[in-house]
Amino acid sequence: MASPFVVFLLMFAVPCSAIGVWPQPRYMSWPVHWATSLSPSFTITSPRHPYLSPAVARYLQLIKTEAYYPLTDLTVNLTNGPPLQALIVTVKDLAAPLSHGVNESYSLSIPTSSDKATLSAETAWGAMRGLETFSQLIWGKPSRVAAGVEVSDWPIYAYRGIMLDTSRNFYEVEDILRTIGAMSANKLNVFHWHITDAQSFPIVLPSEPDLAAKGSYGSGMQYSPANISRIVEYGLQHGVRILPEIDAPAHTGSWAGAHPEIVTCANMFWSPSGSAPLAAEPGTGHLNPLNPKTYQVVNNVVDDVTKMFPDPFYHGGADEINPGCWETDPLIQAYLAKNGTLSQLLEMFINSTLSYILSHNRTAVYWEDVLLGANVKVEASLLPPEHVILQTWNNGPNNTKKLVSSGYRTIVSSSDFYYLDCGHGDFIGNDSQYDQPPFTDQGNGGSWCGPFKTWQIIYNHDIAYNLTEEESKLVLGGEVALWSEQADPQVLDARIWPRASALAEALWSGNKDETGKKRYAQATDRLIEWRNRMVRRGIRAEPIQPLWCIKNPGMCNL
Amino acid sequence: MANPTVILLFIFAVRCRGISMWPQPRTMSWPVHSATPLSPSFAISSPYHRYLSVAANRYLKLIKTENYHPLVPQKVNLTNGPSLQTLIITVNNLAAPLTHGVNESYSLSIPMSGNRATLIAETAWGAMRGLETFRQLVWGKPRRVAAGVEVVDWPIYAYRGVMLDTSRNYYDVKDILRTIGAMSANKFNVFHWHITDAESFPVVLPSEPDLAAKGSYGSEFQYSPADISRIIEYGLQHGVRVLPEINAPAHTGSWAGAYPEIVTCSNMFWWPAGSNWADRLASQPGTGHLNPLNPKTYQVMKNVIDDVTEMFPDSFYHAGADEIIPGCWKADPLVQSYLAKNGTLSQLLELFVKSTLPYILSQNRTVVYWEDILLDSNIKVRSSLLPTEHVILHTWGNGPNNTKKVVSSGYRTIVSSSDFYFLDCGHGSFLGNNSQYDQPPFADQGKGGSWCSPFKTWQMIYNYDIAYNLTEEEAKLVLGGEAVLWSELADPEVLDPRLWPRASALAEVLWSGNRDEMGKKRYAAATDRLNEWRYRMVGRGVRAEPIQPRWCINNPGMCNTVHPFT
Repeated sequence: MASPFVVFLLMFAVPCSAIGVWPQPRYMSWPVHWATSLSPSFTITSPRHPYLSPAVARYLQLIKTEAYYPLTDLTVNLTNGPPLQALIVTVKDLAAPLSHGVNESYSLSIPTSSDKATLSAETAWGAMRGLETFSQLIWGKPSRVAAGVEVSDWPIYAYRGIMLDTSRNFYEVEDILRTIGAMSANKLNVFHWHITDAQSFPIVLPSEPDLAAKGSYGSGMQYSPANISRIVEYGLQHGVRILPEIDAPAHTGSWAGAHPEIVTCANMFWSPSGSAPLAAEPGTGHLNPLNPKTYQVVNNVVDDVTKMFPDPFYHGGADEINPGCWETDPLIQAYLAKNGTLSQLLEMFINSTLSYILSHNRTAVYWEDVLLGANVKVEASLLPPEHVILQTWNNGPNNTKKLVSSGYRTIVSSSDFYYLDCGHGDFIGNDSQYDQPPFTDQGNGGSWCGPFKTWQIIYNHDIAYNLTEEESKLVLGGEVALWSEQADPQVLDARIWPRASALAEALWSGNKDETGKKRYAQATDRLIEWRNRMVRRGIRAEPIQPLWCIKNPGMCNL
Repeated sequence: MANPTVILLFIFAVRCRGISMWPQPRTMSWPVHSATPLSPSFAISSPYHRYLSVAANRYLKLIKTENYHPLVPQKVNLTNGPSLQTLIITVNNLAAPLTHGVNESYSLSIPMSGNRATLIAETAWGAMRGLETFRQLVWGKPRRVAAGVEVVDWPIYAYRGVMLDTSRNYYDVKDILRTIGAMSANKFNVFHWHITDAESFPVVLPSEPDLAAKGSYGSEFQYSPADISRIIEYGLQHGVRVLPEINAPAHTGSWAGAYPEIVTCSNMFWWPAGSNWADRLASQPGTGHLNPLNPKTYQVMKNVIDDVTEMFPDSFYHAGADEIIPGCWKADPLVQSYLAKNGTLSQLLELFVKSTLPYILSQNRTVVYWEDILLDSNIKVRSSLLPTEHVILHTWGNGPNNTKKVVSSGYRTIVSSSDFYFLDCGHGSFLGNNSQYDQPPFADQGKGGSWCSPFKTWQMIYNYDIAYNLTEEEAKLVLGGEAVLWSELADPEVLDPRLWPRASALAEVLWSGNRDEMGKKRYAAATDRLNEWRYRMVGRGVRAEPIQPRWCINNPGMCNTVHPFT
């Protein structure tokens, strides 16, 4: 009995019950675990900035009210120094706008023997990242703050996103704001809003009001221009860009309420018996590239969306073009009969709409299908790499490699790793696959992209896998995606958090420690704390372990 | 173009747009889809009964405040008759207690003309089932109620349960009450409360207060005797039995805070480095087994049984007895010398059962054990020690095979097959430092780290037949089924979506079955009803998961497949 105990003690002595920060900063030094008390009159001073100033006010409020108690007792020494009176924020370039690649670096210094901490950043957006780090170094009531801390921090990847699909099911504005707030706390910086799809068109566009009037789930399930500007403004105050996606030409069944004449195969059964399916899932309809009216409507949409969303990126969708859907249309049938091809049709659509998007001073993002589609795709020459970014979702790192080796910048949302909806079965009705005798292999439980992507699967994935150094420079970052066939506000938080937190750290400071070893083991304890802290902040994140595990460090390891 | 369209219309025309019920009653006739207004002064008259009267008041309030608007507008004809003024409840046997097998039948009649509806039940508990059915027939604002309706209804299975593990993670009393309320709305009748386990001991027992004081997650993570009686009372008011489980002799690491001397292998690392799986100390982190050789063990057990049977009036007592791990007992010097004298681990378990089972029986309880006690491959007891008239075995391994084994040995059984009814499956693993997730891309992700993957969808749960492959006689021993939520990866933040609406799928299967009158599995029709029911539950404050895009409900039939699975 004696010798195993010795071994155990040795194993359990390692966990460090210091305060955790999520995502782990690139560089953080806290050689002696000192803490000082936070003065009741603690304040934050910062230069005036339309978005940083509200962020400072918000963090001050959070810091004074959060009273977070870590799940494990912190072993810290209280300094004899004065309580911390102020955090002084300085910003070098107050004019830098929130856009791709903006400098997000900051350095934070909390001395042991002074009543002032300092946060200096190149931009207002970097200062927001530093404010979050500072807030995570405070706990307890009365509040304590870690002292003798030096943080120097900046992200690995410039694009760190979450995609939310608000078409399959509707989310309230408050759900979106809560998500943006939680993103900011995780140092994620792009909310990719998959606004429309075949199922509903929830955004009210002033030039095309009928799209929402006749394509949304109802008047209570629309985003007004006022809602949009509130969301964009909230994003700016949190350092989170709002990247709008209006998916076209496929996934546009919801446009047919307003403009039936521009949508092929609308309102048809998606997978008729005895013939090829008309859509990848229920909800048919593609914009018709041969109808001039299509471009009139798309141009109005692009006008309105670029006006409402200031972000320099515009996501044009262009995934999952279904041959059968276009082939139902008589105009297209005639076009094909004259030796035209479906790929030419898509090229026609892209040619016309891409140049219009670019004319609004936007970089266009498309799903990879536009270039890599098996049946219907466009020539690379039509997609200038200086103006087009491709978002990859299929075939793991292989497609990433294909895109970057073709010279495209890419955003990685590999469905094998980053699709948060996977692993919850299928939503198709009348599905006999579930009516099987016992002992039948249940496979992936009917989910095309099962299993469920655990936080560990997400954390361990390396988005630059198998790329040369040059190629990996074209990887802008990554994005977890929540498709909403089986999600809505009731499960939003639990589907996204803390799994998106795993992505946030992998993209901010990486999944490896200083020695190059994957740090999933020690990340577990920090993530439990962080999950708990998010819950206290009002995010209904999933638990990742029994509470017993954090109370008994190391005992739940493998 | 013409042809396919015609076919599609044909497919979609069959659907009935009446109000949907969950679970579907055994017989329900509503030949003409008529509805009548519910009078603003509508009242429910019921005989006085300690729990039914409370339930009737609750339903009256809910009916008047629910404001449910079906997602698909109802195609009904408003009658010209008077508005409905009263629901008159008659109960034949007001004295029948809420216990296993109590008569839950009821008949409900809402006439086309006339201002009175009637609900007749054999017992107060059946009347509660009927009240829920009545409530589901009311919708809109101003409120309408279906008229010209006759329902005659009773369950297929007497035991219809949901299990919640409150040891791995803690749930607040309000979470438990909300769950019991939702169970009642689904006509479930047993809340199986897996109260304690290795991780924490949250129930405060008056005779053994140190078990919670030193074994819970902290003072705010405990259930006081007052909490317990509130939960039981709430259950009675909802027709839901509260079946307590105190798992022993394994899964008792949390007892070691108070009594280190009666727990073998406590606070040890669960699977020591370099050892084989067979030499693990527990099947998951959190070690500790009660020591059958220490007389103190039985002293504590008796106090626990005394308190639990005093606090929980249910006539069943769940004693656990799953997953006895050889390595844990073998870590103990007393056990080692017992084994050295040719004793066996199975004899140790028999000793424990012989010393505790009669005591539980002496408190007038039927004992439920997990199947392991009889079927475990290493450590088990002879069936002669488990009298079939007093012992029920709860099956979870090996699908219908273990059900067959248990009933063919003469035991009544409750079915919680992990292949179908474990609601926690499919969300990965909680173990730390787990290199299985650090694989190169294109490595087969397999089950995603969950031992019982995939996620059990509502459809899997719905289609499973718990009497599969049993003879008619054997099937009589199947008391019912139970959906199970182990809480390694669940806590109050995700409780509702983990349980609902998947447990609803089980509720219907056990109440009225998964087949229509023709004997065909009715999962296709169930989808639309379950969608409505899920939204109705959300409106009632239960955060149930969505099962489809809303578009599917608005476009009936369009999200189906017409391709049989091959």
